[in-house]
Amino acid sequence: MLRPGSAYSTLARQPTTTGMWLAVKRPLFLAFLLGCTISLITSAGLNWRLASSATVYWSYVPGCEIAALGAAVSLRGREGLSLARTIDLFFMGHGPWTLWLIGLGAIWSFFPPARAFAITSPAWLYGALAAVIVWSAWIDFCFFRFGLGRDRGSAWRGLLLQRLISWSLVILVIGAPAIPSDLGERLRL
Amino acid sequence: MTRLRLAGGCLLAVSFAAGAFSDSARRGPNMIVGGYRVLSADFHVHSFPLSWGTLAPWDTVIEAHRRGLDVIAITPHNHVWVAKVGRWYSGVYSSAGTGPIVLAGEEIVSAQYHLLAVGIQRTIGSNQTVASAIDEIHKQGGIAIAAHPLAQYWPAYDAEARRKLDGAEVLQPIAWRSEDLAGQLRQFYESAHLTAFGDSDYHGLGPVGVCRTYVFTREPTEQGVFDAIRAGRTVVYDRGRAYGDPELIELAARDGRLPKLDPTGQSTGLSVMLSRITGIAGLVIAFFSLGGAHARN
Repeated sequence: MLRPGSAYSTLARQPTTTGMWLAVKRPLFLAFLLGCTISLITSAGLNWRLASSATVYWSYVPGCEIAALGAAVSLRGREGLSLARTIDLFFMGHGPWTLWLIGLGAIWSFFPPARAFAITSPAWLYGALAAVIVWSAWIDFCFFRFGLGRDRGSAWRGLLLQRLISWSLVILVIGAPAIPSDLGERLRL
Repeated sequence: MTRLRLAGGCLLAVSFAAGAFSDSARRGPNMIVGGYRVLSADFHVHSFPLSWGTLAPWDTVIEAHRRGLDVIAITPHNHVWVAKVGRWYSGVYSSAGTGPIVLAGEEIVSAQYHLLAVGIQRTIGSNQTVASAIDEIHKQGGIAIAAHPLAQYWPAYDAEARRKLDGAEVLQPIAWRSEDLAGQLRQFYESAHLTAFGDSDYHGLGPVGVCRTYVFTREPTEQGVFDAIRAGRTVVYDRGRAYGDPELIELAARDGRLPKLDPTGQSTGLSVMLSRITGIAGLVIAFFSLGGAHARN
């Protein structure tokens, strides 16, 4: 997570197995992590019923990411890696998001709600989120640059396309009906 | 690496087992005060999808029951579809007569105001004034509540809108973020003769019903809830303060049980503590065991 450039260079050269499990294991872990975090935040513990249910419907997030990755990669071909290996390498870069989610789950499960609301004030929450977005973007840039062996410009374009497609899809599903009003409110229209 | 994965898996299994042990519904207050049946309610709850919520409508209904709520209103942003799913599911879930009353609603989100429409059937557009939106809500038989009426939204609530409003949120989790925000909610509530509401504006952070409204009903039914709200029979507690009908506050104070309830309280049982500690530890270990070489570099 700290030196993604060298990590991806090494990983891309390593021989590995291929197949369905390689393609789905990390996306499944992300869905499971989302389900567990929701359970921790909501019920202050791991509730099997809540975590499993939330894992199922929040699996649309890794689904959107894979679709966006497919689009970003297919524009330039597979670049020598199998699709399963490409997905596996890409989802290896989710460390910052994983730590952020676990941190959020820890705050909400260990602190009483009134205190947790105070701790996770918008400034704190958005500040941490901004750091995670930048860190994660750097890792994913390294994925395109060193994992897929692209030149600098092409790596940035791949990253932007992946982000544009996946984030648009994720945000539309979470909150489409209020987006125009939210934007209007923030821009004071 | 295999040992690490095994350790993570074992911790998660322990966490789920401990979580299952403590997974029981809290009983609501189920109390009668001064001849009224007091219902515990949260009229501002968002669900997944399309409303910036994390829980699907069915999970929202089950969680509301677990948290001892008797009434919830599912209020998606600018539509009622998800609320109707929750209301339908509550019919299935509550067939044993134990689940909460689920009201379909909408949070009308415009750039100038946020307004809760509770007990409606059709989506109400946000491209209109507050007063005209309230008229539409009333035409559908619903009630209109000013959602988190902070100072930035006050200009939208003109005299006509304030006269037509049924109630306002005087307590919201945002009130815990700063005394200034809490003061703004209080100031709006006190600016007109409004029914007091305490709502969690539940989007997924924290438990549902962390702020709640106690509704003094003649009968524990949907109609009973609406009648009580229209008559202003609600009480809201916040850190030693009480809002709502002064006679009911006095009645509840004499009774003594209601002010002692603490919906913000966190479970501290051994199984819950074990579940959260092993759960967090298990997720961290699982992450590092799966991250492999990349996590180390």
